[in-house]
Amino acid sequence: MQVEQEIIIKGFALCRGVAIGKPFFLSHDDFAILETRILPTHMEREIERYREALSRSKQDIKRLQKQLEMESAAEGILILEAQLEMLRDPLLTIEIEKEIKNNRKNVEFVFQQALLRYQEQFQEMNDTFFAERFQDLQDVSRRIFGYLHESGHLSLSDAPPHSIVCAQELTASDAASAHSDCVSAFLTEIGGATSHAAIVAKAKGIPYVTNVSLQNLKDHAFHQIIVDGRTGKVIFNPSKETLKEYEELRDRMQQEAKALERMAKWPAETFDGYSIRLSANLDMTHEIDLIHQWGANGIGLFRSEYIFISTNGIPSEEDQQRIYQRMIGRMKGLPVVIRTFDIGGDKAALYQSFCNERNPFLGCRATRYLLKEEEILKAQLRAILRASIDGNVSILFPMISTLSELRQAKQMLQKARQELNLFHPIRVGCMIEVPSAALIVDHFVKECDFLSIGTNDLIQYALAIDRSEQALNEYHEPADPSMIRLIKLIISEADKGRIPVSLCGEIGSDPRFTALLLGLGIQELSVPPRQLPLIKNAIRRTSIVDAVQLAERALSMTTAQEVLDLIVSDYQKNTSDDLFYTHSTS
Amino acid sequence: MVKLVFQVRVKNQLGLHMRPAMAIVKLLEHCESDVSFTYKDKKVNAKSLLSLLLLAAGKNSTLTIEVNGEDANLTMEKLVEAFESQFPLPEGGDCIKKSDIDQPKP
Repeated sequence: MQVEQEIIIKGFALCRGVAIGKPFFLSHDDFAILETRILPTHMEREIERYREALSRSKQDIKRLQKQLEMESAAEGILILEAQLEMLRDPLLTIEIEKEIKNNRKNVEFVFQQALLRYQEQFQEMNDTFFAERFQDLQDVSRRIFGYLHESGHLSLSDAPPHSIVCAQELTASDAASAHSDCVSAFLTEIGGATSHAAIVAKAKGIPYVTNVSLQNLKDHAFHQIIVDGRTGKVIFNPSKETLKEYEELRDRMQQEAKALERMAKWPAETFDGYSIRLSANLDMTHEIDLIHQWGANGIGLFRSEYIFISTNGIPSEEDQQRIYQRMIGRMKGLPVVIRTFDIGGDKAALYQSFCNERNPFLGCRATRYLLKEEEILKAQLRAILRASIDGNVSILFPMISTLSELRQAKQMLQKARQELNLFHPIRVGCMIEVPSAALIVDHFVKECDFLSIGTNDLIQYALAIDRSEQALNEYHEPADPSMIRLIKLIISEADKGRIPVSLCGEIGSDPRFTALLLGLGIQELSVPPRQLPLIKNAIRRTSIVDAVQLAERALSMTTAQEVLDLIVSDYQKNTSDDLFYTHSTS
Repeated sequence: MVKLVFQVRVKNQLGLHMRPAMAIVKLLEHCESDVSFTYKDKKVNAKSLLSLLLLAAGKNSTLTIEVNGEDANLTMEKLVEAFESQFPLPEGGDCIKKSDIDQPKP
């Protein structure tokens, strides 16, 4: 049934950008498996069908691997290699074919039965770490089923250009396998702002809107969809006028993005000459090229937990040293801040969270857990010491909540230095992301070379909000007066102690907050590489004088909404030509 | 035909998880002998990744290995070495790269 009129739905925007395209439905549904008898004469054809499905799955995975290699994303290659190995596994090849022949039943049924048996065996395991391995098998099976089922178009790689991918939910591997040439946007019914999928989508710059009811769509034939990732507006079957409006908008945004990138060589300084260090947060090694391309000062935050993805567990000291050394080498003398492992007491839980595709950086964790697992922290510190001899490296301790934790961590570093007899200078700092640390920051200042404000967690703990919940108030928390004051407090004490403060949370990568942060006194911002051009632009469009005045006004306000209105109108005044962040909120 | 039976201990922090299991399968890819691992009365084909994972052998587990074939001695040596050294990553990389794993077929 063709629907003629324009339909507008408001969803929740997770990644900014504007896209125009055709719907492509991605289904993770379990197909209804029918059990059918296979005649002896058809046996060979049935086996051939299975082999074909395996072969096409192999090709898919190899193609994904190539993609990851080109993006220099060494992470995940091991997982895919394991999936390839599963496709060669006698349990999935010889055994299945045997069963098809013996039971004379269709492939789908036989395969599913085998899968259920393995699922039971995996679920019986006490150790959740091993039990989670079933997910990899399931991933592979979904692919195989997709090729067995006649109408199954499971893979995102089948998506034609200008696809608006519609799904119930998006997994991180979906987001990772999306080519931005073909996938113009993601639309889902449910999705979290801090989900791994959203993070990957943001890293790729693919517009993403969630909270969209897709039930209605399947029955109708929509030819075109417009996704406005800035406001969360989704327009089905746009009218000629609407289409023209958005086409022009999209073109202008592409031009803006190009123009911003050309600013790479220019310094990150306000128009009255106040410069700050603009660095990048690093999760994946392939982003290092972007760091050089977009002219970052260095790596302001290297989340060392990311290396778990490629090595499936905590790597040895030697392995870590190699990783750090390579990264430092590729940064060519630019400063690198390595944050020590931010994990909980249960390492399996961390790995689990990668597999479950929740935000891998969430969880109950603190340097206090690492201090208990002395071996792990010491190994990491030793690896960093050895890798940093020729580099410009700083060490950052996460989730410090008391001064004694910091002292223990520093003692560990000292022990490591003595063991290796390496005493080259390395700056040592700690993250201020727990309110208890913020309140005694004057003490921390005396024992650190620098501080880094982790606003993501600070907001969560200060306002007692669970950030993993699909927050409706995504905007209001960071602008809360309590947050502004906390930041000001930290910076004031750091100033007295003459040490610099950097900021590496989400608000750092929101250009509307840039002037405010400058005015409060932040000396360094560390943002995802993709945001470098926008933030640099925001810096260059303001003056430090204005920024300080802005901050003073913000500090006097009583509600988050007031603060937000203030900084948004200031941003719009200075940067009216930015199409990504200046728009009416309709 | 040589049949060898011996024991090894899993030293890896996280047990016989994905990476060591992959390493074993790759190691045995070109061995002619049949190889089985037994852990707690469960005996599996060591050339099958899924079977190895299903063993769920954690740190400090003792596995009984049975190698049956012409190249049994060499296979046993390789396996013992691999378990002892806890399946290190190949040189020059921070993770197992595809090129490290792809070996030319004999």
